[in-house]
Amino acid sequence: MEQSTTLEKPVSAHRRRENRLLATLAKDKKAQFGLIVLGLFIFGAIFAPWLAPNDPNEMTLDMMVNISGTHPLGTDDLGRDLLSRILYGTRISLLIGFSTVIIALVVGVSLGITAGYFGGRLDFIIMRYIDLQWAFPNFIIAVYLVAVFGTGLFNIIAAISLAFIDDFARVARSMTLSIREEQYIDAARTLGFSDFRILFGHILPNTMPPIIVQATVSVSYAILGEASLSFLGLGVSADTPTWGLILADGRGFISQAWWLGVFPGLAIMLVVLSINFIGDWLRDALDVRQAM
Amino acid sequence: MSKEDDKKKLIEIEWKDAHDFDKRDPLFGLSRDALSGASLSRRATLRLLAAGGVLTIANLVPGSSKLASAQSSGGTLTAGWSGVGEIVTLDPAQINQVLQFQVASNIFSGLMHIDYNLVAQGDLAESWEVSADGLIYTFKLREGVTFHNGDTFNADDVVFTFERSSDSAQSIHSKAIANVASLEKLNDLEVRFTLNKPQASFLPKALERASGRAMTIVSRGALESMGPAQYGLTPVGTGAFKVTEHQLGQGVVLERFEDYYDSERPKLDKVVIKPIDGPEPLAAALQAGDIQYIGGNPLPAQLVDRFVKDPEITVDIKPAPGFQSVWLNPWREVMSVSDFNKPLEELKKEKGFMVRLALAKALDRELFIKQALFGNGVAAYGTINPAMGFFYDENIGNESEQAFDPEGAKALMEAAGYPGGSGFPTLDLITTPSQKRYGLVIANIYKQVLGISVNVVTKEFTVQIEEFNKMDFDMRLGGSGGDYDPDDGLMDWMITDSKFNGPTRDKADKPFGFFSEVEADVAISEQSVTADPDERKAMVQKANLITSNKVACAFLYHPVDIQVYDKSVNYPDESRIPGLHDFDRVTLNS
Amino acid sequence: MFVVATLVFFMLRIVPGDPIAAMLADAGGQEEVAALRAKLGLDQPLVVQYFKWLGNVLQGDFGNSIYGSRQPVSTILLEALPRTMSLAFMGFVIALVIGIPAGIISAMRRNTPTDTAVSLFAFLGLSMPDFWLAILLIIVFAANLQWLPAIGYVPMSDGLWLWFKHLILPSIAVGTAFSAIIARMIRSSLLETLRADYMRTAASKGLSPRALMMDHALPNAMIPVITVIGIAFALLISGAVVVENVFAIKGLGRVLIEGILNRDYPVVQGAVLVVSAFFVFSNMLVDLLYGMIDPRIRLS
Repeated sequence: MEQSTTLEKPVSAHRRRENRLLATLAKDKKAQFGLIVLGLFIFGAIFAPWLAPNDPNEMTLDMMVNISGTHPLGTDDLGRDLLSRILYGTRISLLIGFSTVIIALVVGVSLGITAGYFGGRLDFIIMRYIDLQWAFPNFIIAVYLVAVFGTGLFNIIAAISLAFIDDFARVARSMTLSIREEQYIDAARTLGFSDFRILFGHILPNTMPPIIVQATVSVSYAILGEASLSFLGLGVSADTPTWGLILADGRGFISQAWWLGVFPGLAIMLVVLSINFIGDWLRDALDVRQAM
Repeated sequence: MSKEDDKKKLIEIEWKDAHDFDKRDPLFGLSRDALSGASLSRRATLRLLAAGGVLTIANLVPGSSKLASAQSSGGTLTAGWSGVGEIVTLDPAQINQVLQFQVASNIFSGLMHIDYNLVAQGDLAESWEVSADGLIYTFKLREGVTFHNGDTFNADDVVFTFERSSDSAQSIHSKAIANVASLEKLNDLEVRFTLNKPQASFLPKALERASGRAMTIVSRGALESMGPAQYGLTPVGTGAFKVTEHQLGQGVVLERFEDYYDSERPKLDKVVIKPIDGPEPLAAALQAGDIQYIGGNPLPAQLVDRFVKDPEITVDIKPAPGFQSVWLNPWREVMSVSDFNKPLEELKKEKGFMVRLALAKALDRELFIKQALFGNGVAAYGTINPAMGFFYDENIGNESEQAFDPEGAKALMEAAGYPGGSGFPTLDLITTPSQKRYGLVIANIYKQVLGISVNVVTKEFTVQIEEFNKMDFDMRLGGSGGDYDPDDGLMDWMITDSKFNGPTRDKADKPFGFFSEVEADVAISEQSVTADPDERKAMVQKANLITSNKVACAFLYHPVDIQVYDKSVNYPDESRIPGLHDFDRVTLNS
Repeated sequence: MFVVATLVFFMLRIVPGDPIAAMLADAGGQEEVAALRAKLGLDQPLVVQYFKWLGNVLQGDFGNSIYGSRQPVSTILLEALPRTMSLAFMGFVIALVIGIPAGIISAMRRNTPTDTAVSLFAFLGLSMPDFWLAILLIIVFAANLQWLPAIGYVPMSDGLWLWFKHLILPSIAVGTAFSAIIARMIRSSLLETLRADYMRTAASKGLSPRALMMDHALPNAMIPVITVIGIAFALLISGAVVVENVFAIKGLGRVLIEGILNRDYPVVQGAVLVVSAFFVFSNMLVDLLYGMIDPRIRLS
């Protein structure tokens, strides 16, 4: 039956991809490193209340104490335990990194495949907006949105997600445009499948590889973006420990307490590096030629 | 040793003599000859110091000025201005920050300028006479003074400045000269002020060029030709340095004014002032030699140790004339007081006042100074600061209702209906970005002592001062600097119609700003026109204690003045005025 | 550009908490507020305000800052512009100076320790927050070694060397991420070109590997690099926003952030407009360059 063979195509492709992922992972030391490090950070974030030696906001008069048994990463300028603050900061960073990308992905991809699949006026309207947003650097958009809507966890997440929507929409649209012309979509259409079913059952799964890669890259940018916003004083709040804020607050004390300048920066770098390694592996494994 | 003993004896004699004045004579018991004239005699100076309450043994120790070592004229001094992104204005009429008049003091002259003993000396006033009743001041002006633009200075400029400063639309300092009934030009080089009432602080405050600002002589010609906005950037004065360049955010370039009235000064060719925000860049800039001097906002306390350890850097610490408080908005329901005039015992029965008092009592100032200031500060319970010496009440820490008392504070919160802090709303505490950690320490103290949450919000100074003026805030950390005279603390902050007491609030809604108390108002107005130092002191301390007990704000600390510069800079003691950075006598060692 | 301006104008006016009241913070009672509102034309309908503003912008008048000395926004922007331009230009130069050789070397010595080192450097460069790099640079080169000034900007008119000296650290901080991107792009695009048929032909003709690389492979490999110049600008501008704040350089980025923190709307409007104008302009320039290098694109 003609029908079954065409519809099986994406499924088998999917399975092949999975095998390829595992096969390339075995050879890719960087990706292994990335997965392990990211895993450790996720573990640390989840179990922060048990792992942290102190309350991250508890002030003591042991100010700027060097690395020791009681304070494995030293203390900050207000006598707060740095390890505890970084562990709790991991929660915020990862929360923002992943949640913003999920939101941007859902919204952006929906816009992108809708525009790409239906074309015409809808495409024109959506893409004018996307092009307009594309005209601004992502970080500037995020800064601008925080300026308009104010700081706070929810607003930061909203600002960064919005800033990423155009990236996903563009990738999704261009993929959709090429998939739309594939034979099996034509077949589905002639068989009278609803647009909804075609979009989400057939087109969406096939746009996924480049989108997954885009998502990985975006997570790293989101984490960097949040850190930069916090650093500029446009972050979650004045005392919620986040990596950017710890660095911003520690900035005035670095020459007396080098650990304040080194560890939070190192945490950001390690997580972003891990995600970049993972993204690279996925790009190769999923065979995505990413247009920069 | 015997030489030391001699010295001690001499100091003792001078100390006694200085404090030995006739209290009945309104003018500090000094003869008019001693007070008027071209400059003050040492005896007169010391008495004035004692009367002003600023005489310290240090003033009497001879030979503390540095020897002029291989120093030379000329050269460029680059100074970093701490904790600020840009020096917004240099127009004396608009200046509302210490770090601004620190710069302006190098550009402008006033009729008077305080010296390193905090005594007013003639600046553009060559000599002056005071009438016996203390109401008429006749000034002979310095001759041959020119403005940076070449205009000649004369009595018309004094009148022009007076008129500009009296107009509240053009100047924010009109109150500082409100006691002047009239100013007459007698001739080109003579003017006469007639006061409504005698005023103890007339010379050191109303006519002071730096902190006073009302009679800092501005240029008519330049104001007309460039307009007030540009004048705020590149003003023209008669001071030792002229502004040759000013880009907001990049800094101010001052160059030696060749025609300065004292041909010996200034010594430097050029002074470059760069605003530097953030302690790390500031320290790096000094240690890398980009800057040789630090001015501006008080030095971030964590840098003190670091600079003291550096053999290339000189650090000099003195009490600073100022105070910092946690301001509590009485128009916020939870800490509202609609009438501060009620007797204290009655106020203590009001919930809003209980909360205010609890917030003041809970402030563990010692812990704050240790944690936030690394020990550099003095606990404050009022606006009168230790640098004022004579007027400062050593005992206020014990007498004031605000004295640290965690149990009492907790009890008050419970009585107000917030046992253990439960049910108390989260209030915002506004700080500048550079004082954020101070805010965090305060929030932590409130959390520990009262169990309440305070949310620290940072806002740039320019923004928060506007909100403060509108009385649109919950709590704000802030205060004053350059307070050399009791008037600077009491008149500027604590009297009902003071210039900071909610000047732009909605007056229909809020009859007063953050504080208004009749008894304090009376004492403040009277001390201001009382010349007898002991009487004045009593009134100053009375007013100070009322504002403390009735919680005009939760007083926190008096800062210290930390002067920091590279060893290549020769900063003579003569120019060491706490809170100011006058570069006219500064030289560079070659 | 027009759409951008419109968006910027209206976005800033939907800010919660009446921005107009914030602008008038220093006016006195309600009558004064009303009077000032009328004086500034803020009592007129939004549409009227919009067209007035647009008309002024077209004449280069962005209004005045609402805080401090109330300087014209155009003056503030004109002063900031050379600083950001200098920083972006130097950052760009540094990115090319590091990125191109690194990319070529790693492509030529593929799969050697050098290649691994370059690729690791590229990953680090991409992962390191620029403000952290900036802080580390200040600590090492300004505070400890005291080789370079820690902060500030000196205009070129004060001396080329002074200007340059003050820009080295900030431009490294801004340019590093871009240099990593360039290195990676050059490497992969070189490898691709070297695999292409015409290269094999050239090699079989007996050209030296060096000549092959310089005369044939490199020019072709540069094409994708030029396409990322648009990205470069986004990166450099975003980087400048943060890095200018660390180095206390009052460029567009710092003007923008200060404007936001102070709610100084005319300044924010002006800064956003100028930044986006640059972005749009640089994208056009890239298209033009692209066409010049690869004639095929012009045809299509």
